Amino acid sequence: MQWLTIFKRENLEAARNFKWVWVPLVFIILGVTDPLSTYYLPEILDSMGGLPEGATVDIPTPPPGEVLIMSLSQFNMLGVLIVVLMSMGTISGERKSGVAELVLVKPVHYHTYISAKWAGTLGIVAVSLFLGLLSSWYYTNLLIGDVAFGQFMQLFLFYGVWLALVVTFSLFFNTLFRSPGMVSFLTLAVVILISMVSNVLSHILTWSPGLMIPHLSTMLAEGSVPGELWAATSISLATIVILLIASTLVFRTKEMA
Amino acid sequence: MTILTVHDLTKTYEKSPVVDRLHFDIQKGSCVALLGPNGAGKTTTLRMLAGLITPTSGRIAFEDFPDHDIRAQIGYLPQHPQFHNWMNGKEFLVYVGQLAHLSKKEASEQAEALMKRVGILEVKNQRIGKYSGGMKQRLGIAQAMIHKPKLLMLDEPVSSLDPIGRREVLNLMKELKQETTLLFSTHILKDAEDVSDELLLMHRGKIIESGTLQSVRDKHRIDKISLHFQTEPDAYVADLEGLEVVESVLREKDGLTLWVKDLEQAREAILERAFLNKWPVTQFEVGRTSLEDLFMKVVNDDAMADHFQA
Repeated sequence: MQWLTIFKRENLEAARNFKWVWVPLVFIILGVTDPLSTYYLPEILDSMGGLPEGATVDIPTPPPGEVLIMSLSQFNMLGVLIVVLMSMGTISGERKSGVAELVLVKPVHYHTYISAKWAGTLGIVAVSLFLGLLSSWYYTNLLIGDVAFGQFMQLFLFYGVWLALVVTFSLFFNTLFRSPGMVSFLTLAVVILISMVSNVLSHILTWSPGLMIPHLSTMLAEGSVPGELWAATSISLATIVILLIASTLVFRTKEMA
Repeated sequence: MTILTVHDLTKTYEKSPVVDRLHFDIQKGSCVALLGPNGAGKTTTLRMLAGLITPTSGRIAFEDFPDHDIRAQIGYLPQHPQFHNWMNGKEFLVYVGQLAHLSKKEASEQAEALMKRVGILEVKNQRIGKYSGGMKQRLGIAQAMIHKPKLLMLDEPVSSLDPIGRREVLNLMKELKQETTLLFSTHILKDAEDVSDELLLMHRGKIIESGTLQSVRDKHRIDKISLHFQTEPDAYVADLEGLEVVESVLREKDGLTLWVKDLEQAREAILERAFLNKWPVTQFEVGRTSLEDLFMKVVNDDAMADHFQA
C-alpha cells in the first residue's frame, strides 16, 4: 500500500517533468539509427562524394540480428548515460533538498522507500528499452531482414537485466551520497570499469555482466542461449539483490541530517 | 499522564556533545516550548525524537506505544520544510497521509479539512512551488497533523515568517494545543511565553531550567521598583538606601531602579517617604524581572564563564 503510494508518486513526477517522454524518445531515436544508417549506407556514401572512379567496394549488409546488436551497443553507450543521468537524484536529490525528511518521519519502512524508488526508475528504463529495441527491430525487419519476435524478446530481457544492474548501482550510490553529481560519477565509473575489465579479460571473466552484448551476439548466431549468458545474467541478478539489501542497510544507518 | 520520557539522551558529533544527557518528560495534553539560543541543540533533540537521527546514547520512550513504530504517533515539522514543488498542496498532503497508513479517501478528506484549518484551502490546487513562505509553513503544519498524531513537534515554526505570518501561526498553535500535545522549539522567549505552558530552557546541549512557565518565573523572580522624579534623582538615593527593605539602588539615565526584599513592605515604605517629604515623583513602577532577563542572564553568564576560562 505504502509501496504503491511511493511508486505512483514517482511515476507522477516522471510524467510531470517529462521523464516519461524524453527517456523513451531518446531510446527510440537510438534504436532507429542503426537499421536506417545500415540500410542507407551506400546512398550516404554517394552523397558524400562517392567512391573514387573504378573502385569497387563491396559493403556487405550485416545479418539482421547484428543490426539489433548494433542498436544494443548504442544503448550501452548513450543509453547507459541517460539511465545514469535520469536516476542520479532519485534519493540523493530528495535528501539534499530535505523532502526525504518529511517522507521518512512518516511510518515508512526504509526498504519500502528504496524498493519503490528503484521500481519507479526501472519502470521507465524498461519501457524505454523496450520501445527503443522495438523500433530497431521494426526497421530491421522492414529494411534488412527478419528477426524472430522471440529473439527480439530474448535480447530485450537479457539486456534489460544489465540495465537494471546499472539502475541498481545508481540507487546504491544514491543512498551513500547526497550529491547527484557524485552519484552519477561513481555509477559511470563502475559501469566503465566493469566493461573495460571484462573486455580485457574476456577469456577469463566469461560470466561478467559487462560481456552481455558479445554473448547476445553469440546467442543470435547460434540460435541458442550460451551458458556464459546465463552465468552473466545470474551474476547480475544476484548483484542486484545484494545491492538492494545493501542500499537499505546503508540508508538506515545514514542520518537524514 | 506522561506521553514521552527522555532519559539521558545524548548526541555526540566528533566527540563533542551537541545534546548532553537530556532528561525530561512530556505530559499528555501539555504544550512545551524548547527554548534556547541558536546552537543550543534544540533541532538535534527534536530530530532524535522524530527518529530522523539516532541518539549516541540514552533512551526515548513513548509510554503508550512501547513496541510500535513511534513515527506513527508523532507529527514533525522541520525547521525548513521542503516539499515536492511540482505537486500541488493537496496532492502532497494526500501523499504523506497515505504514507501514514490513511486510505486515499481518508487522506483526501483529512487534507481538505486541515488545509481549511490552517487557512490555505484556496490554494489547494496550486503548485507548492508558488506558495509563499507562510503558506509553506502552514502546509508543513498540516502535513505534520495529517495522521492525527499524539505528539506534534514543530521545529522553529515561526522563525522564518514575517510578523503577520508569525502572528497567524502562533494563533494556530494556540488552537492546536487544545487538541494535541505540542512540543515546539524557539529561540524567541516571547513566542514561548505566548503559547506554551511549560518551558525547557536549553543551552549548550543541556537543559538548564524546566517547569511550568509560572514556576520558572517565580523561581527567578526578583522584585524591583523603578522611580522617576521631576528633578535630578541623586538627591533621594541616600534616603532610599537607608530603608530596611531596599537592597540596592541603581542610578539610571532618567530615574532609579531599586531591588527590594519584599515588594509590599517596600512599596509602603517608599510611598510613605515620598508623601512625607513631598518628592516630585512622576512615575512609580513595580516590576519583576521577566523571563527575558533570566534568558539573557543564563546565556550571558555562560558566555562570561567562557570568556574567563579562555
